[in-house]
Amino acid sequence: MQQPQILFEWNGNSVTAKPGDTVASALYRSGVRIFSYSYQYGRPRGLLCLTGSCPNCMVNIDGVPNVRSCTTPARSGLSVLAQNQNVYRGFDSPAVKRFPAAPPLSESEHHYQHAYLQFDVVVVGGGRSGIEAALASAERGMQVALLEKQPALGGDSVHPMVTTFLNCTCFGLYEGNLLGAVQIDYARPNAETLLHLRAGSVVVATGAYETQFLFANNDLPGVMLSTAVLRLLHQHKIVPGKRAVLIGDPARCSQLQAELEPAGAEVVASLPIGSVVSALGDDHVTGVATATVTYDADVVVMCGPLVPDLGFLAGTSLESVSLVGAAAGPGLAYIPPPSAQSTDAIACLCMDVSGRDVAETIESGMGHIELIKRFTKLGKSACQGRMCQTAAVSLCGQVSGQTIAQVGTTVARPPAPPVSLGVLAGMRHHPVRRTPMHYQHDRLGAVWMDMGDWKRPRYYDSAGTRNQAQCVEQEYRAVRERAGIIDVSTLGKIEVKGSDAGRLLDLVFTHTFSTLPIGRVRYSVLCDELGTILDDGTISRMDPQRYFLTTTTGNVDFVQQWLEWWAAAGGFKVNITNLTAGLASMNLAGPLARGVLAQLTDCDLSSAAFPYMDWRQAAVAGVPATMMRIGFVGEMGWEIVVAAEYGSHLWDQVLEAGASVDLLPFGVETQRVLRLEKKHVIVGVDTDALSNPYEAGMAWVAKFDKPDFIGRAALLHMKQNPLERMLVGFEMEGSIAPPDGSPVLVDGKPVGWATSVRFSWEKRKVIGMAWVTPAEAKHGTPITLRSDAVDYFANVVEQVFYDPSGQRLKM
Amino acid sequence: MSFLLKCPNCGERSVYEFRFGGEVRQRPAPQAEPEAFVTYALYKRNIAGVQWEWWYHRGGCGEWFKANRNTLTNEVHQTLLPKDEEQRG
Repeated sequence: MQQPQILFEWNGNSVTAKPGDTVASALYRSGVRIFSYSYQYGRPRGLLCLTGSCPNCMVNIDGVPNVRSCTTPARSGLSVLAQNQNVYRGFDSPAVKRFPAAPPLSESEHHYQHAYLQFDVVVVGGGRSGIEAALASAERGMQVALLEKQPALGGDSVHPMVTTFLNCTCFGLYEGNLLGAVQIDYARPNAETLLHLRAGSVVVATGAYETQFLFANNDLPGVMLSTAVLRLLHQHKIVPGKRAVLIGDPARCSQLQAELEPAGAEVVASLPIGSVVSALGDDHVTGVATATVTYDADVVVMCGPLVPDLGFLAGTSLESVSLVGAAAGPGLAYIPPPSAQSTDAIACLCMDVSGRDVAETIESGMGHIELIKRFTKLGKSACQGRMCQTAAVSLCGQVSGQTIAQVGTTVARPPAPPVSLGVLAGMRHHPVRRTPMHYQHDRLGAVWMDMGDWKRPRYYDSAGTRNQAQCVEQEYRAVRERAGIIDVSTLGKIEVKGSDAGRLLDLVFTHTFSTLPIGRVRYSVLCDELGTILDDGTISRMDPQRYFLTTTTGNVDFVQQWLEWWAAAGGFKVNITNLTAGLASMNLAGPLARGVLAQLTDCDLSSAAFPYMDWRQAAVAGVPATMMRIGFVGEMGWEIVVAAEYGSHLWDQVLEAGASVDLLPFGVETQRVLRLEKKHVIVGVDTDALSNPYEAGMAWVAKFDKPDFIGRAALLHMKQNPLERMLVGFEMEGSIAPPDGSPVLVDGKPVGWATSVRFSWEKRKVIGMAWVTPAEAKHGTPITLRSDAVDYFANVVEQVFYDPSGQRLKM
Repeated sequence: MSFLLKCPNCGERSVYEFRFGGEVRQRPAPQAEPEAFVTYALYKRNIAGVQWEWWYHRGGCGEWFKANRNTLTNEVHQTLLPKDEEQRG
C-alpha cells in the first residue's frame, strides 16, 4: 500500500517527508544541514543531539517559536522557518542581535487543556528500563502510568494496568508526588494537555543525555553527538555522512564504527578527546585537526559524556523516587580541558559562551559555578544547561583545582524542559453569570457591562441610538418623576439562621441585630478588626432565628466565608446559606411606584402599613414575594425578591403594570447617577481597601452601645482622633466630567482623587465624590481635578445633592 | 505548593481546593487596648516550623477547619473541625 506523501514548507520551499520522520530528519534527508544560527554571534548550527536536549534544531513552526524539530513529527502543511537568520555572522565582531521575529499571538487555533489523574505508580521514560518497571508494578496489581516524550515506546508494554502517554514530557516533580507533564497532540496546531499526575510512587527511567566535548569549532554543523548518529541510522534509515571521524571513549567509538561502516560510511579515524584541537570548515565540517595530523571528514561524531537526565527532579530530594536504568548512572564526569589553542570551543551553545570566556571569568575571581553562570549567561537558555553544565563544571574544577563534587552544580528549578505558557494557562475559562431576567434586558436593548462574572445592563438603548447620555437621562427622569425598575439579582443574598444568628450578626456588623424587630430591615456595614469597611448591605429579620442579608455584587463569597469563619471560631450555632443564584430581585422606585406595585399585590403599601425600612411577604403578580422598602436611588421604592424561576414573569408584569405611567427599566449607569445625588457610597467604588466609616462620612454606622463587635476598638480610636482623609461631595464649575479616579489638587499639590463624577440633572451640573485631606473638606473649598494635564475646577459641597431630608423615601 | 490537605469532612484533597485562612490566633478581649487589636490583626508570628492554621474547603464542603502544618516542609500532621478541639494532639 502506498503511503500518503507528507509535504511541508521549510523557509518557503517544499520538503518531502517519509512516514515516521520528524521535521528534523526530513530536513536532514532533503539535504538541509544548517538548522539555525546562534543567538549571540549568528554561528551556523546543525543537528547535534536529536533527542530534544540541545538548542540547535529549534525552529518556528506555524508561528510558534523555539519548537524542537527533532521531536516534532513531520506533518503535511506545516510551515517551518529557521530562526535568527539575519544576524551578523562573525565570532569576534560586535553582533547585531535580532530576536526571533515575534509571531502574532493567534487567538484562533489552540487547544490547551488540563487533566487531573491519579496512579499508584508513574514511570517517567518509556525506554527498556521504564517498560520493565511499569510491567513489574502492573503485575503486582498497581495502576501504572508510563510517560514517554517520543512518539513511540522503546519496546512493548501492553498490559491492562498500564496507561501509556506518548509525546508526553515530564517537567517537574512537586510536593505530594505531583508530577507535571505536557502531552502534545501533533495532529492539531498548538494542541497540548497539561497532566497533573498524583503518584503513589515515582519511577524515573529518563535515561541519560549525551553532552559535547570542547575543541575549537565544536559547534560546526556536521559535528554531532553519537545519539544523533544512531537515531538517524536506526530510526530514519539515514546515513549521516560519507567520511566520519569519531571522538571519545575507544569502546564506544568502535561500537559506533560497527554500526556506521555496514551502512556505507567510512570511519577515517577514532581519536581520544585530548588529541583533537579543532574541527575545520566554514558553514559545515570538512575535517578535524590534531596537533600533528589533519583528517578530511563530512561528519564528526562525539561519543560524549553521558549524564543522567534528571532535570525535572530539580528541587526535590532523590530519596522520594526510584531511579532505574541509565538515569541511575553516575553523575557529571570530567571532560578533558580544551588545549591551549582551542579555547575557542563553544561551551554554551545557547548563549555562545566559549571556553575562554569561562576561563577568563574564573581567572578574574568569579570562580564559583553560580557566579560563572550569572556573569557569562552560560546555562541560562533553552537547553537549560544540558550541553554546557559538564563543560562549565569541568573547566571550573580544573582551573580552581577542585573535584566535580566540590564545584557542585548550579541550583535548578522546574520546569525542565521548558513549558509553553499557553498550556500552563489552559483553556479559556470566562464563566458568565446571567440573571433570570437577562433575555428580557436583551430584548429591551440592554447595553451590557461586566460586573465580576455577571452581565448587567449599563443602560437600555431601545432605539439603537448608542447615545448613552440621552438614554440615561430618560431613565433618570422616569425614576425621579414617575417610576423605574432595575434588576438587582446580582446582589449577594445570604440567609443566616439558627439560635445564635442574632448574636453572630451583632459580632460581625456594626449595628445590633438581635434586637431588630421581625419585619424590619436595617442597613449596616461590615468592618474588619482595623475598622476598614469590608462590605455593606441590608439585613432583614425574617424570624426570631432567621435573617436575610444582601451584599455587594462581587463580595458575596467573601462575606459568606467571613461569617462562617467567625461562626466556626466562636462556636456559633448557625447555618449560613448563599441564596444568590436561587433568587431574583428587582428594585421598583419612583414617586409613582406605589401605584404600579398596587396593581400586582393585595398587600397594603401605604406608609402607615408598610413604612420605610420594613419588609412584607405577599403574593406579587401571583407569585410569593418578599418586598423590602428601601431606597438606594433616593425615591420611594421596593426591592422585590422572588424565586429565580419567577424573575422573568414578575419583570414582565411590572413593565406591563407600569406602562400607563411610562415606567422605564433603568441600568447601572442611571443608578450610579441617582445614588450619587444622594451621596450613597458604593463599597469598592467610592471606598478602597483602607477606607473606614468615619472617613467615608458614615460615622453613624459605628454603634458603641454594644460591648463588642469586629472593629469596635479601632472605630472608637478613630472617633477620638483626627482623620487623615475624608470622602466629600463636590460640584464642578464647568460642564465637563473628568474620568473617575482623576487626581484632586489644591494649590497644585495632590490631596486625593475623585471616585465618582457624573452629570446631575437635579443640579444641572457635574457633581462627584472625592477623597481629600480634612483641611479641604469644608463646604465651598475650591479643589482642582486634573485629567490629561488639563485642570478642572470644583468646589466642595457638604450637603447631599438631592432630597437632603430624605422625605421622598418615606412618602 | 502542591501538597495534599485532609479536609475533616471530605478527606485528602489537593491544596488548590482550599483557601488559606491564616494562623490560629486568640482575639483580644473586647475591653483590650487598641494596640492589642492592632497586634492581633497585623503582627503575625510567621513561624518557620509547625503551627496551627485555618483552612477553608472552598472547592468542597465549604467548612472552616484547623490544620497543624509544618510551614517549612508543608507536612500536615493533623486537621480537625473547631468543635473537635479537644482531639488536638
